[in-house]
Amino acid sequence: MSLFDKFQPTKEMYYALREQTGRDPFGVSMDEMKGPTRAIVKGREIVLAGTNNYLGLTYDESAVKAAQDAVAQSGTGTTGSRFANGTYDAHRQLEIDLAAFLGFKHCIVFSTGYQANLGAISSLAKPPEDVILIDADCHACIYDGCQLSGAETIRFRHNNPSSLEKRLQRLDEKVNGKLVCLEGMYSMFGDTAPVKEFVDIAHKYGAHVLLDEAHSFGVFGDNGRGLAEAQDIIGDVDFYTGTFSKSLASIGGFVASNHDELEYLRFSSRPYMFTASPSPANIAAASAALKRIASDQSMRITLWENAKRVHAAFTQLGFEVCAPASPVIAVKLAGKAQAFKAWNFLMENGVYVNLAIPPGTPNATSILRLSVSAAHTNEDLDIVISAYTALSEMLANDDSKD
Amino acid sequence: MTSIQEDDDLVFRKICSLIEPLNEKGVKLTRDTDLIADLEIDSVAVLDVVMDIEDNYDISIPVNTISEIKTIGELVDAIHAIKKEQS
Repeated sequence: MSLFDKFQPTKEMYYALREQTGRDPFGVSMDEMKGPTRAIVKGREIVLAGTNNYLGLTYDESAVKAAQDAVAQSGTGTTGSRFANGTYDAHRQLEIDLAAFLGFKHCIVFSTGYQANLGAISSLAKPPEDVILIDADCHACIYDGCQLSGAETIRFRHNNPSSLEKRLQRLDEKVNGKLVCLEGMYSMFGDTAPVKEFVDIAHKYGAHVLLDEAHSFGVFGDNGRGLAEAQDIIGDVDFYTGTFSKSLASIGGFVASNHDELEYLRFSSRPYMFTASPSPANIAAASAALKRIASDQSMRITLWENAKRVHAAFTQLGFEVCAPASPVIAVKLAGKAQAFKAWNFLMENGVYVNLAIPPGTPNATSILRLSVSAAHTNEDLDIVISAYTALSEMLANDDSKD
Repeated sequence: MTSIQEDDDLVFRKICSLIEPLNEKGVKLTRDTDLIADLEIDSVAVLDVVMDIEDNYDISIPVNTISEIKTIGELVDAIHAIKKEQS
C-alpha cells in the first residue's frame, strides 16, 4: 500500500483513452490566443466552443484598458488577503457596484467563484445544529463548501422542489439553521432551476436559500441579473453567489445579500480571510465588464441568437441534446470511449469543446459540452456546425461504448 | 411487526436490488461487498443509489454519513440507525 495507490484506477482509464488518440482532453494548451473565440493549438487555429466566455468580453476594449491602467497604477498583485492588506478602494467599489446592479444591500468579493461558495457555505452553516440541503447536481465547490462547513448535508433530487420539501419535512425540530443550495443554470447540461418554487418552499420551512448564478449572471433576465431576475424572485434570494470568470471575463467571485449579517463573513469565512485578494487588473477588468453588461443589452441578444442557432442545428442533426436551448449545449454520447473519440474528432475538425465524463457529470453520462459566446461570429458557428455534421456521420458508423 | 433479523434481511435485499443495475461485473453481493472497491461504482453513483434508498424508506441519509460507508453491510446498519432516529 502506498500514498499513490488510490490514483491507479483513474490513471489507467485516463491513460488508455489518451493513448488511443495522442491527445489529452484534460490538458489542452492554448498555444496562442487569437481572440475570444480562436486559439492556436498544436500549430492549428481552432474555434473555441468550450469556454465560459458567454458575453465574449475578454478582449473588450474598455476592460483591457481598465486592466492595463490598474496594473500601472496599483501594481501586479496585492500580496495579501482581503482581511489584511489586500483590500483596495477598487475592491470595495466593485462590491458597491455589484450590490447596486443586482439590487442587494451587501456584497463581498472573493478571489474566485469557487472560494465565494466555499466561503459562504462553510461560514453560514455550522455543525452540529445547522443542516445544509443541496441540489444533487450542484457544482463541486458547493459540495466542498459543505465539507469545509462540516454541517450535516442532505442532497435532494435535481431541480425537484418536492424532493426538497420532503427532506425539509423530515428534519428534526432541534435543527437550528437550514441552508438550501442550488444553481441558476447548471454548467454541464445547461438546464435551469425552478428558482421561484425552491425559494417558496425553503422559506415556508424557515430555510435560507443560497443561489449560485455563476453561469446565469449576465445571461438571463431582462437586465442580465440572472435566472432569479428572469423568474422575478431576485429580492427573495437570501444569498446570491457569482463569479467574475464567466460573463465578467476576469477571475474572482462574490456573494450578495440583503441580510446585514452577510458582513460577518469578513471575519468568519476562512476562504475570504486566508487567501490573497484578486489582483488590481482582475478587479478592474470585472468592473469594466460589469459596466458594459449594465449598459449594453445587445451582447445578450446576440448570445441567445447564437445559442438558438446551434441548438436547432444539433437537434436537426439528431444529437441527443441535454436541455432546451441555452448558451450551454451538451450532447450525450454512448459512453466514455465514444465521447473521447468524438471530442478528438472535433479537435481534428478545428473545434474545441469540453469533454465531460463520470463522475463529473449527472446520471453517469458522457457528454460533449459546447458553450456559445456572444463573440462567436457566423463564420465561427458555421465551422462548429459543419464539424458536428461530420461528427454525426462518423457516429452513425460507430459502436464504441466504454 | 417484523423481527430485527427479518427487517435486516429485507433492507439488505432492497439495497441489493437497487445496486444490481450498477453491478456490471456481476459480483456476488454480500454484507462485506465494498461499493467502490469491489463494484467499481464511482462516488457520485453511490450518492445516487442512496437517494433511491432515501425515497424508498422515507428517510434522509446525510452525505457525511455516506462518505464513511464502505460496504453494503455498513449501509444496512446506517439505514437501521436512521430509521430508528427519524421515526
